[in-house]
Amino acid sequence: MTQRYCCNDCPLPIHHLLLFIAMSLKAKPAYYPKMYSTFNDTLRSDRFIITAEVSPPKGVDTSTMLSDAVRLRGWVDAINITDNQRAVMRMSPLAAGKTLLDEGHEVIMQLTCRDRNRLALQSDLLGAAAMGLRNVCVMSGDHTTKGDHPGAKPVYDLDSIQLLSMIQNMEEGYDLAGNDLEDAPEFVVGAVSNIDPKQPMQLLKLKKKVRMGTQFIQTQAVYDVEQFAEFMGMIESVEMPVIAGIIPLRSANMARFMNENIPGIRVGDDLIRRMENADDPVQEGLRIAAGTIMELRGICRGVHLMPIGGHMNTPQLLEMAGLTALR
Amino acid sequence: MIISSSKPFEEVLALLKDEDPIFVVGCSVCAAKLHVGGEPEVKEMCERLARAGKHVIGGTVPRAACNMRSSEVLTDLDPEILNAGAILVMSCGSGASTVAKLFDIPVYPSNNTDSLGGMSGDEVLRDQCVMCGQCSIGDFGGVCPSSKCPKGLLNGPCGGSMDGICEVDPEKDCAWELIYKRLERIRRLDLLENIYKPKEHGVK
Repeated sequence: MTQRYCCNDCPLPIHHLLLFIAMSLKAKPAYYPKMYSTFNDTLRSDRFIITAEVSPPKGVDTSTMLSDAVRLRGWVDAINITDNQRAVMRMSPLAAGKTLLDEGHEVIMQLTCRDRNRLALQSDLLGAAAMGLRNVCVMSGDHTTKGDHPGAKPVYDLDSIQLLSMIQNMEEGYDLAGNDLEDAPEFVVGAVSNIDPKQPMQLLKLKKKVRMGTQFIQTQAVYDVEQFAEFMGMIESVEMPVIAGIIPLRSANMARFMNENIPGIRVGDDLIRRMENADDPVQEGLRIAAGTIMELRGICRGVHLMPIGGHMNTPQLLEMAGLTALR
Repeated sequence: MIISSSKPFEEVLALLKDEDPIFVVGCSVCAAKLHVGGEPEVKEMCERLARAGKHVIGGTVPRAACNMRSSEVLTDLDPEILNAGAILVMSCGSGASTVAKLFDIPVYPSNNTDSLGGMSGDEVLRDQCVMCGQCSIGDFGGVCPSSKCPKGLLNGPCGGSMDGICEVDPEKDCAWELIYKRLERIRRLDLLENIYKPKEHGVK
């Protein structure tokens, strides 16, 4: 049988031409699944919210990150994936977050202002929305001089307030320069806060974050519930789910180190003494954290778990705090 | 004024490794006030370079290294500069650039230019301005967050600021602490409620 061609002048076989026509007639592929945010439902419910922090790998192997996340399955409402936390370079939260999402986790992608200018922030946000990462938590980010690349150029093209405002623009269908987006992303947007009631500027900034459309707040680690309650009292007017940070202590030295090196963390002398006198400091740290969580249940909307070194003990901690799995 | 600091002498020596003879140019304005480019410093530099084996043919201190009508300003002060193989400029980067524009020989800086600052009494005031071209210090009580805050945050402090101290440098006050105190003193704390838009970097 002789080959049939499109016409006398070109050598394109007719069945190839028919295939091209068929392909071009095919419906436009769905551009993104408009993934549903179950975390948004949790925020709107009256449940006690539990979120936990997972770190992307410093390398390409995501298996340790994924196994850490698996420990949290059924226990937490969402997993925060960190963004070069403490200015130490790691895999991007966009890539790591998508990896977690593909494994069925509800992800909150952290996004700092430190490493991206306004173009890169918007690019990553569009990418996140396109891939179904609906929840983001924005922050300034620790300064580059505090991390493992102290000579890096710190960006901070926008601050966290301006970033929140830009996200609002994007949700309305515009980029920061006022150009139309082909379609608008949808996000559930959170921010972070310190919890010292004696820092008026920190409280003022928190209120600006709320004005810029923040839908939830995750805080620095709480060790003094009384002081935290005072902080909550000062922001009473703010209708906003506040999720209190928890870092279980592992040793008295860790407490002292955090007091000296991590802004916004104050571990009281009584807790340091408890840690010093404990036979098993790790278990004592979990008992302290569980006690804090139980006290916080009446004060704020949830807790955000940021243990040092992974989530081996997180299910145990939550059980000790009287919280059940099968969320 | 421009705040400059001296490079370590070994670094200056390394810059001039393949150059001779050397002529040294100072500056009577900012660099002289900061003791990194006035008469005594130029004299000392000439002597140190000579002791280190360099052939130094002269040194002079014009009124302002950054403000010279022509090369004659320097050749009138000391015509020996025309015989130089390279010029070492003890001013800020602007002065060194101005000298480089006037002479077709290599020009090297002895200083690092650190910030746009000022002086009050004997106190050197660092990081007063980043020359953004969109001055808005009136909104911040006259304290520029773009230069005083290492993150240049325009809407309040970062979470790293604690007890009024900067996250980056524990020797420094948080810029937002300074802004808060200043606005409190001039009874304009209301300005803290404003939401400020990002700077437009394209305008400069």
